[in-house]
Amino acid sequence: MEWKCVSPGDRPDGEIVLSGDFDLYNAPRFSAYALRGIADGWTGLTLDMGGVEYLDSTGVGSIIRLSQALRAKGGRLRVRGLNDTPRRVLKLSNILPIIEEIR
Amino acid sequence: MSEARSAKPLIVRKLIVDERNELFDARAMRSLEFVSDFSRIREYAAVILEPCPDAFKEGSLLEQQLSEIIKNGIKHGNRCDPSKRLRVWFDFRKRVRFIVEDEGEGFAGLDDWNDFYRRRQEALHNQDLDAFLALASYRGPRSDDSDGGNSLIAALEYWNGGMIYNEARNKVGVVRWYTGGSAHGAERSTTR
Ligand SMILES: Nc1ncnc2c1ncn2[C@@H]1O[C@H](COP(=O)(O)OP(=O)(O)O)[C@@H](O)[C@H]1O
Ligand SMILES: [Mg+2]
Repeated sequence: MEWKCVSPGDRPDGEIVLSGDFDLYNAPRFSAYALRGIADGWTGLTLDMGGVEYLDSTGVGSIIRLSQALRAKGGRLRVRGLNDTPRRVLKLSNILPIIEEIR
Repeated sequence: MSEARSAKPLIVRKLIVDERNELFDARAMRSLEFVSDFSRIREYAAVILEPCPDAFKEGSLLEQQLSEIIKNGIKHGNRCDPSKRLRVWFDFRKRVRFIVEDEGEGFAGLDDWNDFYRRRQEALHNQDLDAFLALASYRGPRSDDSDGGNSLIAALEYWNGGMIYNEARNKVGVVRWYTGGSAHGAERSTTR
């Protein structure tokens, strides 16, 4: 999986565009990257998941950790462009309630 | 989440231990053996699914759910010890069935996990977002960064014909039923 930070520097919210497999081989590196962004100042974060077709429980775990870190700062995780299978994985894992979907 | 409690009654599924369950009947199932190589988990799942009809795959969902069980056996069961094997039985006739056996010490925390899952579902049911977030991922004694701590939660829903462990808890049997190409709802779950 690759990702690109596209957040405009003048706002406290991060935005990251992801593509590829959000899985056990990639999610830990991504978590470390995004958690650093939150520690360094993001109070909200949007993930553009339009380029992700494969999501597994490590990816879901990454989403949970980011949600927890943002919640601790009073912020929230937003997700855009969820494809069908990743959405089903999130639904099966019962974590759709903690993320905000935007268009 | 809104303020109101949801009106639906709370039904909490469980992981079940049942040595003699029919899900462990491996007669007429094919099987493959794998070395415990963490870097090859997804490759193993893809190899096993080669003979599987596309109608059962549901995008990448089946591959993902199988990969999770393989990962649990290789990482939590065999602790990635290359001298330990993982054996997978599979059957794709009318429904998807797997039995996955590792050579580890077994899932000793299974009852703890059921307890964790009940508390998690209660938090969700009570719409207590902070409690839910705190319980969103299971953390076992050896959980690390590559453990999302949520695959079994999805598995209990996904394996709609049951998910059963043997007495030693190093072997799991699962089945997913389909009707007309799509999966049954959760109503068939964990029948014994
Ligand atoms: N085959 C197994 N052998 C030993 N322990 C297991 C096995 N499968 C699952 N477990 C235990 O169940 C826990 C939860 O599994 P899971 O929901 O897949 O989350 P994760 O693998 O991300 O930790 C694991 O952390 C581990 O403690
Ligand atoms: Mg797992």
